[in-house]
Amino acid sequence: MRKRMLVLPIAVLFVVSIMLIGCAGAAVGTLQFDANGEDFVRQGFVSKDGWSIDFDHVYITLADVTACQTDPPYDPHSGADMNCDVKISLGNVYTVDLAEGGDNAPPILVGEVSDAPVGHYNAISWKMVKAPTGPAAGYSVVVIGTAEKEGQSVDFSIKVDEEYEYACGEYVGDERKGMLQEGGTADVEMTFHFDHIFGDAETPMDDDLNVSAVGFEPFASIAEAGKLDADMAELHAKLAAGDYQMLVDILPTLGHVGEGHCHCE
Amino acid sequence: MCMKWRIAACLFFVFILGLGVPIKALAHGAKIEYTVNVAIELVAAYDNGEPMAGAQFVVYAPDDPSTPWLTGFCDDEGRFSFVPDTSKPGIWDVQVRQAGHGDIVHIPIGEDAAVTGSAGGYTTLQIVLMALCVVWGTVGTALYFSRRRRA
Repeated sequence: MRKRMLVLPIAVLFVVSIMLIGCAGAAVGTLQFDANGEDFVRQGFVSKDGWSIDFDHVYITLADVTACQTDPPYDPHSGADMNCDVKISLGNVYTVDLAEGGDNAPPILVGEVSDAPVGHYNAISWKMVKAPTGPAAGYSVVVIGTAEKEGQSVDFSIKVDEEYEYACGEYVGDERKGMLQEGGTADVEMTFHFDHIFGDAETPMDDDLNVSAVGFEPFASIAEAGKLDADMAELHAKLAAGDYQMLVDILPTLGHVGEGHCHCE
Repeated sequence: MCMKWRIAACLFFVFILGLGVPIKALAHGAKIEYTVNVAIELVAAYDNGEPMAGAQFVVYAPDDPSTPWLTGFCDDEGRFSFVPDTSKPGIWDVQVRQAGHGDIVHIPIGEDAAVTGSAGGYTTLQIVLMALCVVWGTVGTALYFSRRRRA
């Protein structure tokens, strides 16, 4: 009789122990999401056709920013859906200025998640969407700056209202990213290569980068009184058809993970 | 009741003993040992097929995926090779970069290759609770065999 009375509480204790194992919680840390225009944006560069470009602002608007742990590692070249074992997302829409902070500024912190499960976040996806409010309202990308060449100067504001969706593999760069330890902090980075639009004078002209780039000369040729303020509709109307098509084709290639590629839709 | 408990304890002891006793093979004569070193050869090329001549490569081993295990440069044909340490089975990551272009590949080496980027391990609390459950299971089994038979 005494043993029967002990069985029930002992069984309850056993079941509670099992539940506590499952509910004890995985090890967590802080995962940061960065956006980086690299030195091309922060310090400026010379386009493939000799225009020295400096950026005052480069606004991009990001949504559905998600970092994943994938197994096997996600291959962006495949174009397949990203199957995440662990998924961490930022819930808001963010407009960031990649030119913020000056020549030696660090990448822009878009957001962070403080209770992200540990592990290697080896894939990231995001959308570039039209900003709902703010300095880039109505546009996914706004590039504002000044270009100079041989005494000429053009103040430009180029506004893109196309929306893009990127799915990227692991960051490729000087160091690996996304490896989150318990109680630690790790970062994942969305990198934007604006040299793809204008080309780069320091890269061989027969490099695919320059072959596919629009350059700045086409934009300069449609500027009026040294000023250009145009959205995609106006660029479509004023640029040569071939130049506009090059721009349309190259814009999806802005998104990278360091030097790693992304799949874009 | 004591007999059943004793039988269970004996069986458990024999099981543990069987795991720990090494099997000796008595023999003499020649002894030949060999190792097989599998070299991994990679070829890096741009999207247009042009080889990444002189590109920098970095190899990461599965036991320390954040620290370069080997670095070097591709040859004129974008080729390089390395012999992974087979005592470290798992996913070996190889990164190749040049002039703003780069990519990373993931190569499984060894049987039952471990997977990087696993979704976290067990916390100390979880380990303690699991240990307590194992102990309780053992105690429960012992109590079962030690119960008195009803007349």
